[in-house]
Amino acid sequence: MEPIFQVEHLSLYYGEKQVLKDLNIEIKKNKITALIGPSGCGKSTFLRCLNRMNDLIENCRIEGNIYFEQDDLYHAKRDVVELRTKVGMVFQKPNPFPMSIFDNIAYGPRCQGIKKKQVLMEIVEQALKKAALWDEVKDRLQDSAMGLSGGQQQRLCIARAIAMEPEVILMDEPTSALDPIATAKIEELIEQLKKSYTIIIVTHSMQQASRVSDETAFFLLGEIVEFDATSNIFQHPKDKRTEDYITGRFG
Amino acid sequence: MIQRQRNKKRRWSDYICNGMTYGASAISAIVLAAILFFVFIKGASSIRWDLFVQDYWPSNYSITIETDKNKVGEFEVPTSLDEDAYFSKKWGIVLKDEKDGEESVVMTQIVPDSPFHYLLDQSVKNNISSFQWKEGLMLEKLDYVDKQGNTSMAGSLFMQNAEDIVKVLDEDVTQITSMYVKTKGGGIRGSIISTFYLLGISLLFALPIGVSAALYLHEYARKNKVCSWLRSMIEMLTGVPSILYGLMGVSVLFPVTQMFGATTTNLLLGGLTLAILLLPTIIRSTEEALRVIPQSLRDGSLSLGATSSQTIFKVVLPCAIPGILTGVLLSIGRVIGESAALIYTIGTFINDSPGLLTQGTSLAVHIWSMMNMEQPNFEMAAAISLIILAFVCLLNISMKILSKYWYRKWN
Ligand SMILES: Nc1ncnc2c1ncn2[C@@H]1O[C@H](COP(=O)(O)OP(=O)(O)OP(=O)(O)O)[C@@H](O)[C@H]1O
Ligand SMILES: [Mg+2]
Repeated sequence: MEPIFQVEHLSLYYGEKQVLKDLNIEIKKNKITALIGPSGCGKSTFLRCLNRMNDLIENCRIEGNIYFEQDDLYHAKRDVVELRTKVGMVFQKPNPFPMSIFDNIAYGPRCQGIKKKQVLMEIVEQALKKAALWDEVKDRLQDSAMGLSGGQQQRLCIARAIAMEPEVILMDEPTSALDPIATAKIEELIEQLKKSYTIIIVTHSMQQASRVSDETAFFLLGEIVEFDATSNIFQHPKDKRTEDYITGRFG
Repeated sequence: MIQRQRNKKRRWSDYICNGMTYGASAISAIVLAAILFFVFIKGASSIRWDLFVQDYWPSNYSITIETDKNKVGEFEVPTSLDEDAYFSKKWGIVLKDEKDGEESVVMTQIVPDSPFHYLLDQSVKNNISSFQWKEGLMLEKLDYVDKQGNTSMAGSLFMQNAEDIVKVLDEDVTQITSMYVKTKGGGIRGSIISTFYLLGISLLFALPIGVSAALYLHEYARKNKVCSWLRSMIEMLTGVPSILYGLMGVSVLFPVTQMFGATTTNLLLGGLTLAILLLPTIIRSTEEALRVIPQSLRDGSLSLGATSSQTIFKVVLPCAIPGILTGVLLSIGRVIGESAALIYTIGTFINDSPGLLTQGTSLAVHIWSMMNMEQPNFEMAAAISLIILAFVCLLNISMKILSKYWYRKWN
């Protein structure tokens, strides 16, 4: 099967500082890929390369190539806005907009010019159902999203991403601000979403990585030390540093 | 031993420090109270409803009564008649002596069917129109036909008071030929309207420009030298004395208003000058509001495929509204309190029917004009100050409620 992302010799600099060093990785379609590694090793930075959120950072410079569905992601003619509708993102801290639940989810579609209330309603309902939030909020769609619990807010953010019907969802430590029950719900949700989306998830939890992901990449100091099927990484790591990290003897 | 001494020392310095803060707050509280007290004592008695609806300039009319109604009748004394009021039984009108300011006789009430319901205005020759009786009209002079059929005169012009005039009316007058009446004047209606003109014009220009400038500086502009330069220039504008804005207004903006047909200093000019004066305030408070909006909201919006403009106008700007409201509040306070920048740009002529391109005075400049007369009218100035204070207070409260409502809606 063809990879959805193909990263070749990717290096990234913040000013003079090199944060990503010559990364090479292929991310498979409709699989869950976990990115693990100690803090500050560049996982978030790498993830943000995949939907070009790093463009916003002024002194950020990129070398190498990333191909998204065989097309150059950083091509000068690439429409970044359109790219982001295909590659959605969920952040570490839930960041619902200070609007109603409905407006939060309808935000993306509205930005694409969808105005019909009927259509929007349909989209919102589907997205909330897929994010397993519908039953909890169906009676209060017009209430402020800020009134939801942290876990609900995060699922709302996932629903918001889903509403765009992206191909890929990038998740940067989506459960680190949540309690175990909310975390379990989101993991269950990720499992569900796998059928229709490619998911790349950054996590600090080894258990989470081993539970939900199909493939795992281990990052260290801006390099990918090892990238393999999750079962291989956790049971037969090839690299000594990987083994040290996943057994907790490290970082 | 040493320990204890230190403690004692510390206690003393604590007392002094605390005492200083208490003292300072007490002084500010006293000063504020003193100002309020002063304004209240001086001004409270002058505040009447009349003040808000009356013209500033008194106007004179020569009036008469429709011919077929111009005759004596018999009228019942109205039930509610003040002690110092006099009622004319034959003409059905109540007169009263007015003592504040110059002495005068005012008409305070007419009974139903009184001939005074049928007044004609004959001030303009060959154009007689009907005249609406108003409470508070001053009766200066009365020409009448007496019982012998001779014409005669009465009124406050002849040092007669209300009692005298009523006596003449009841005992001597058979027909009223003409009357000179005068409206009281001294009102601030025109200045209130002018103030709203200034508020409207200045905010109409300053708000969109200021908010857009803040958005540019904070959201669009690259963080480079030029940007920080621009920002510090804007900061500096807040320190420019407002009289300079006034001078700049007349010299630079006056030709602009001339293009719209202005011939004198005018409210549009004043409003535009104020708009420039308000820009730094609005830019700053908007920027302040933008600064506290978390980056994660912007990221969230962009990651959903919104363009940067969509992000700014749909997510960032709505979040900044409470901050912008604060800026508007500060601006309104500034407009209402400003006088130096306005004296050159709107003039100091108190205008009862102000328009966009006419002169007029804001309430603050109204005070300035009243204090600049040969006989400074202290009471009136204090009364207007009180009105301004009350207005600003009201504004503050309503803005607080509004932004609280906003806050609640979103959190
Ligand atoms: N905007 C920036 N400018 C300069 N340096 C940055 C910037 N963002 C991140 N960095 C640096 O890049 C390195 C990688 O950061 P990144 O956020 O990708 O780490 P991470 O692996 O996601 O860490 P964590 O697990 O703590 O989230 C860090 O050393 C960080 O200090
Ligand atoms: Mg991170």
